[in-house]
Amino acid sequence: MQILILLIQIAILVAVVLLHVAYATYFERKIIGHMQVRMGPMLVGWHGLLQPIADGIKSFFKEDIIPDQADKSLFLAAPIICLAAMMVSLSVLPFAKGWALADINVGLLFIFAMSSLASYGIILAGWASNSKYTLLGGIRSMAQVISYEIAIGLSLVGVMMLSGTLNLSQIVEAQGNSFFGMFIISQPVAFFVFFIAMLAETNRVPFDLPEAETELVSGYITEYSGMRYAMFFMAEYIGMFVMASIGVVCFLGGWYGPFAVPLFPPIWFILKVYFIMFLFIWIRATLPRYRYDQLMAIGWKLLIPLSLGNIFITGLAMTLAQ
Amino acid sequence: MKIQYKPKRDLLETIIHLEILQGLALTLKKLFSKPITREYPGEMPPVYPGFRGQHALVRDPVSGTSKCIACLRCSQACPARCIRVKYHIDESNGSRIVDNYEIEALRCVYCGYCVEVCPVNAVTMTDIFEYSSTDRQSLHFDKERLLENWDHFTKSDSYERQSYVNPLWRPRGFPKSRLTASSRESVPKNRKIEKQFTGTKLGIKKNNKEAGGYNNLYPTHGEKNAH
Repeated sequence: MQILILLIQIAILVAVVLLHVAYATYFERKIIGHMQVRMGPMLVGWHGLLQPIADGIKSFFKEDIIPDQADKSLFLAAPIICLAAMMVSLSVLPFAKGWALADINVGLLFIFAMSSLASYGIILAGWASNSKYTLLGGIRSMAQVISYEIAIGLSLVGVMMLSGTLNLSQIVEAQGNSFFGMFIISQPVAFFVFFIAMLAETNRVPFDLPEAETELVSGYITEYSGMRYAMFFMAEYIGMFVMASIGVVCFLGGWYGPFAVPLFPPIWFILKVYFIMFLFIWIRATLPRYRYDQLMAIGWKLLIPLSLGNIFITGLAMTLAQ
Repeated sequence: MKIQYKPKRDLLETIIHLEILQGLALTLKKLFSKPITREYPGEMPPVYPGFRGQHALVRDPVSGTSKCIACLRCSQACPARCIRVKYHIDESNGSRIVDNYEIEALRCVYCGYCVEVCPVNAVTMTDIFEYSSTDRQSLHFDKERLLENWDHFTKSDSYERQSYVNPLWRPRGFPKSRLTASSRESVPKNRKIEKQFTGTKLGIKKNNKEAGGYNNLYPTHGEKNAH
């Protein structure tokens, strides 16, 4: 019986998240369109509101082309690995008090493990497609994710030290229901590092080198078509959603807000996640892509020393405060 | 020529990412501006005077057919060699009678020389630009089709009796008195087109002038653009 309830909860979560993902693409296209003084999708439904559904149907019924020279089994598996790894990390997110599917004690580590696993999907896609563009995209993605994984992990060490736990719900509880309790106030440097590393980790502009359209056609998804292409997209947007959620949980006080909303407790969480998603899109509409060596320089020479320094200062302050 | 380098950032500006913040402020400002998109099938773009669209042979209201006198200037002027006029000579008075007048729209480069050179304003280019087709044959206009094009154009909203013959198309150095009646009528000077986009509306010209960076590098280019 308990398993059945859990399965229903999973089904609801996946459905809601996939709907969010679909409309995140709409949101992104609209916002970027208006920022570029265009309109974005307008034709399908009122102001293009049914565009994501039309896109979904289209990509579902499109031909699934597999290149002749591709490593077929890996080629077919790569998008599934990518999507599954991203979706699994949804299970530990606390949307509100007690609203996590699995409230495990290593939640934060679990999410990092899963986001690294998703990059396997990208690398395998790059390798299995047997094309120079996808291979270059895969290699770039690997190097980028490995470099920024360190920075993002180190930036969250300060949060772990302050809250004394890896459990996401308890991290939120540690920040408490007050504005100045939020870790963005006590850990601004960590938030800065986390935010930049988050952009790189999700392969977003200005660090979208793995799929740099101007250089690599479409990077690791060049050879994909139809639903498998859509699965990579879904994985990317779920990745954005997960990273935004971590930012909210670790720095912006999770589900706590200025006042409690009775019927629907996750409202503040969702609003904060939307805000970070908006930042993602805003940055995409503004910044050009970094060069590859600049990307590496920022990761290794700036973010990692900064986060190490942040850990040292946090530890020093905590010791002095005792 | 003096090259302007950007002033060096100080440490504070580097730390707060001043230039990135400026860029973000610009995109945020533009988020709330009105899009300049013209939703084409619903909203038609304005057609400017001198627009060179679909070809047509002007139907003479008196004779009910083309005004063409088969002088062949159009086919000689045509750089794409897409105009073909077939005629025979009327033995009684020696005048040329047009049998067929063909324009291959697919080969046409839309330079408008044929219109410019026509002494009787028989051939013209209308404002109609939506006449794409999936086969070649329907874009190979013969005389009847060209006359139909004219009828179609005169029925459309964009047809203005006064301006269908554009002063831009008038043969140069040709005295006005020798023009046919229809081409003597000139386009009214105050003719305005709605929803016309200009550089100032987009804020391009103004910003460039204020910044002065590009104009300093290319002063003549900037001057030309301004006028």
